[in-house]
Amino acid sequence: MKNTEPEKIGAHSRRAFLKSLGTVAATAATAQVQSVAAELEKANAEKTVGPGAVPVTLTVNGEKLELMLEPRVTLLDAMRNYSSLTGAKEGCDRATCGACTVLMDELPVYSCQKLAIEAQGREITTIEGLAQNGKLSPVQQAFWDRDALQCGYCTPGFIMSVTALLKKNPHPTPDQVKHACAGNLCRCGTHPHIIQAALQASGAKVTSKTEVIHA
Amino acid sequence: MPSWPEKTKYISKSTLRIDAPEKVTGRAHYASDIQAAGWLYGMILRSKWPAATISAINLEKTLQVPGIKAAITAKDLPQTVRFYGEEIAAVCGATKQACLDALRAIEVTAHALPFAVREDDAKKDDAPQVWDGKPNVSVSARGSREQGAVDQAFPECAAVIEGFYTTPVQLHNPMETHGNTVSWTDDGLTAWASTQAISASRDGFAGPLKLDHSQVRVITNFMGGGFGSKLNGSVEGVLAARLSREAKAPVRLMLTRFDEALAVGNRPSSFQKIKIGALADGTLHAFELDNYGTPGISGGDVELPQPYIYKVPNSRVKQAHVAVNAGASRAFRAPPHPPASYAMESAMDDLAAKLGMDPLELRLKNDSNEVRQREYKIGAEKIGWKEKYQKPGSSPGVVKTGIGCAGAAWGGGGASKRTQGDAQINPDGSIEVRLGVQDIGTGTKTVIAVVAAEMLGLKPEQITVKVGDTNFPPGPGSGGSTTCASISPTVFDICANALQQLQTQSGIADARGNNWFAACKKLGVTPLVVHGQWQQGDPSRPLSSSPAYGVQFAEVAVDTETGLVTVKKIVAVHDCGLIIDTLTLESQINGGIIMGMGYALYEERVMDDLSGVVLNPNFETYKLSGIGDVPEIEITLLNMPERGVIGIGEPATIATAGAIANAVFNAIGARVYSLPITPARVLAALGKVPPFTAVKP
Amino acid sequence: MKAFEYATALSTDSARELVAGNGAYLAGGNDLLGLLKEYLVPGPDILVNIKSLPGLNRIERGENSWIIGALVTVGEIERDPEIAKVFPGLRDAASEIASPQIRNVATVGGNLSQHSRCWYFRHRDTVCLKKGGDLCYARNSENRYHSLFTGNDCISPVVSSLATTFAALDATAIVLRDGQEARMSMAGLYQKAWKEVAAHNSLNPGDLVLRVEIPTARSRSAYMQASDKHAFDWALVSCAAAAEVVDGKLNQPRVALGSISPVPHQVEAANQFLEGKTLDDATASQAADMILAGATPLEHNGYKVPMALALIRRTLLKLKGEA
Repeated sequence: MKNTEPEKIGAHSRRAFLKSLGTVAATAATAQVQSVAAELEKANAEKTVGPGAVPVTLTVNGEKLELMLEPRVTLLDAMRNYSSLTGAKEGCDRATCGACTVLMDELPVYSCQKLAIEAQGREITTIEGLAQNGKLSPVQQAFWDRDALQCGYCTPGFIMSVTALLKKNPHPTPDQVKHACAGNLCRCGTHPHIIQAALQASGAKVTSKTEVIHA
Repeated sequence: MPSWPEKTKYISKSTLRIDAPEKVTGRAHYASDIQAAGWLYGMILRSKWPAATISAINLEKTLQVPGIKAAITAKDLPQTVRFYGEEIAAVCGATKQACLDALRAIEVTAHALPFAVREDDAKKDDAPQVWDGKPNVSVSARGSREQGAVDQAFPECAAVIEGFYTTPVQLHNPMETHGNTVSWTDDGLTAWASTQAISASRDGFAGPLKLDHSQVRVITNFMGGGFGSKLNGSVEGVLAARLSREAKAPVRLMLTRFDEALAVGNRPSSFQKIKIGALADGTLHAFELDNYGTPGISGGDVELPQPYIYKVPNSRVKQAHVAVNAGASRAFRAPPHPPASYAMESAMDDLAAKLGMDPLELRLKNDSNEVRQREYKIGAEKIGWKEKYQKPGSSPGVVKTGIGCAGAAWGGGGASKRTQGDAQINPDGSIEVRLGVQDIGTGTKTVIAVVAAEMLGLKPEQITVKVGDTNFPPGPGSGGSTTCASISPTVFDICANALQQLQTQSGIADARGNNWFAACKKLGVTPLVVHGQWQQGDPSRPLSSSPAYGVQFAEVAVDTETGLVTVKKIVAVHDCGLIIDTLTLESQINGGIIMGMGYALYEERVMDDLSGVVLNPNFETYKLSGIGDVPEIEITLLNMPERGVIGIGEPATIATAGAIANAVFNAIGARVYSLPITPARVLAALGKVPPFTAVKP
Repeated sequence: MKAFEYATALSTDSARELVAGNGAYLAGGNDLLGLLKEYLVPGPDILVNIKSLPGLNRIERGENSWIIGALVTVGEIERDPEIAKVFPGLRDAASEIASPQIRNVATVGGNLSQHSRCWYFRHRDTVCLKKGGDLCYARNSENRYHSLFTGNDCISPVVSSLATTFAALDATAIVLRDGQEARMSMAGLYQKAWKEVAAHNSLNPGDLVLRVEIPTARSRSAYMQASDKHAFDWALVSCAAAAEVVDGKLNQPRVALGSISPVPHQVEAANQFLEGKTLDDATASQAADMILAGATPLEHNGYKVPMALALIRRTLLKLKGEA
């Protein structure tokens, strides 16, 4: 969408930036604080913003997204409509289908039910952030190899859930895969292949039991 | 005469889906992902009345909401609204938030009218009429027929059963909602559509907007499912185009999940009173059906092809439509076979129980279809029918296990004979095949690549496939399980033409495989563009045909204290002529089964009769099969190259509900007559729910 | 959603001040954002992010009781290996709540204070009794998910499975009300919903759940639920049981049912009956009958009675199995 250009953080000093936001705690910039986000939070805490658009900085796939957003804009909305991160999909906008699943500090969450403004300072990973230098992640590759997709609309969400699972539990059982993916819906019916893909990505040997009889 | 090669390198083997890389990386762009320069967000205001006359719509305040660029009414006034969710107005603006605020600023003057949203309410003599002057109930002539002498035949039967089997209205609920991103150019309108039929979509824009077809271009590179609900032009598309024209900017208008339950189609319900009788040896002798169902305010597919796959010499079938104030039905994966199969196959098992006969034996006795006979035998062995079958209800313990089966036929498969396509072959040997079809998740693009690779002696990765553009040669909508059987012979023809021309131009006798690049090089600087179209090929060994059959077996465990049904295993035995790609075929069958399981156990659109609203327009209470519900699925594929290519999308979903329902009956010895088979219904069938008596206040 | 202001509170005082006008606390946000997206509640004019309030996200493991802060997420409860040992019923309840994505953000406080899930309450176009209308649609129409016990004309049941489990564990919620800490049992936390049509629980505007104190007296606990689906599905009926077991006999047993009443349903007579008993089928069934005594099924929720009877029996017998 049409990003009415925010003041870029870029070359400004941190102090100048905080000052430009009108906080009285600009001196906090010189205190020993870890990140800009934490500083922002401390400096802006209890400062009421909105309801009109305000600067919101999101860290997505390691990069900073600087947007002007109303507080009521969700993280999903911010990614899909205020930037070009259309990988996460809107399937329901009600935290019931998982098509919008992203990782926030390594935990899968529904980006449709998280306000963008409170996702600041968190490490957000989307489907676009998985492949490294054009090389598919093991989970992405496994989804391809096991045909764990059909129309593909639920696919980014499932891949994020499986990716998060394997980070915490590198060798899950099929039941653990089901438990981890319980929050993702698919209408095309890819579930059997998704379970296979998760197991294959974990290094387990997976074979199809489909038999072809030549009549 | 042309026919498929007997020995194949790719056809009938497993080929990875060629558009998977885009889908797994998020690079695939759906209609809802298109970000045309300066695009605006669009939104629809829907009627909150199930029936009303709207006399005025005030858009003044709406247009004053910051960021709003246009606001229109959907129809001319006065507008007669006939269902909760009917389109009333639409807005577009810079943000979703602006549109939300704008919708709430629209002032609608409406006079509410009486309504009926339940079939049984609409059938009453004093029910409000959904359409003025038209009774809500209309007996279907084409759905009613009589054969033999039914009334004499029933007394001749050794066993007769009666049952009232019902199925609910089912919602398609594809993961991507309906919608388009539209943009006006000097040439006309471009629409990135979430559609199963780019040609029909184009027609749907051209007509209402008074454009020539050549002025409308529809593009669908990826779409997030349709299952029959996206086969036509759309109200929301035209609204988006009108908004876009007025706002002078592209508009993306996607429906919300809430909208999907209201206004974009559904599978009609069925209320089937069945009476069926057999002679002592199990031969079916008499059949009677009285069926009614609702397609909402209008629509088709209420008539059921009963007695489905069975031949009964004496039968009488009466069917009726019941109109209600709810969204119109649309074709939904194998219409109307799933409700027909479910009820018929349930009746067969009930009859088998009365006869004291194994229900599989009853089927083998009465289903003369050779293909299904083979499939039943294969499936029975795979599920362990002989070892596992026991009389209904004889499974011991609290959690009872049972098995059941059902058969299918899908005659609507086959091919669209007007399918065309072309290919551009470049001097460097690269080839791009273009067809005006769409890949709705079935693997259409992969099928094209496989056939082209086979015929040209190349690898599927070497074929660039382009579909989903009305600028390409026309093809059919993706419905009826016809796409694979339409495009395969077409690509066959394109390749045959390509080789012929290549061979002529290059002087190389056989330009396939190892000779391909040398032959292409001889093209010089000018690419070769060839056309092709669907052809039947050798009639004795055609390139495509129909129908397809299929049988499915289900094994379930039913907790007789909580009523929970767990499907442990589905064995599916399917035929679809010549298999093109076993991998994507397996995915299709999984999908059909899982959707059929949802129909059997979880899905039901619920209408509230007091307010007339859809009560479950969300995934919280409209329940889809989840990964935790999905059983082990074992698939056996019968490859029949001599029949040519046949479609599978719909055959795969027909028999599932019947098989599961029969397995539940086999487990607990009591029939749950209504879908979905919820824990509540299981407990009621087991006699565990005390009858309800209204408590006097 | 309507437009709102936003602020992050760093102290409970400022949090209370910020919501004073017409504000709402934002914790996990699942329930709140769901309500706002359907315009089911008036306003709010400001959302106050309370996730930075100090000290509310800790689990304190004491000898006689544990304290679980209101900002501890359901996911953290599910994954905590010690909770699994000390309060296995709590772990089981947490693991079945919603989906992993929701559990990762849903907080204890939010789960306890969530609003009704009745589909008429949640529907944007039905103005039911709870929303100030003059009709309970569910009583006369679709009531398959509704209560077996009611104290007023609204028949929407409490759905918090943490509340059901805390009730069995005899836990106490500590709520900050007008600057003072108020202690509420689970019964007390939902008592207002029993009495008043418009209430979802006993919290007043501005009240902030701070923590839950759980006595460790009952070393055995269990939770089970019955649903239409195997996962990510609201419970049709849920049951939690907790007790100490001394010489094979129940000590301080408590059984609670969820999703069948506006409050976690407990029958003191049943708890007393179970005291000192050896657990077996017959005892469990008798207790179950006592717990369901007086249930008034509606037209479509009668199945909840046999379902609840079975769940109670199974949950109690599960206490036996705990090592």
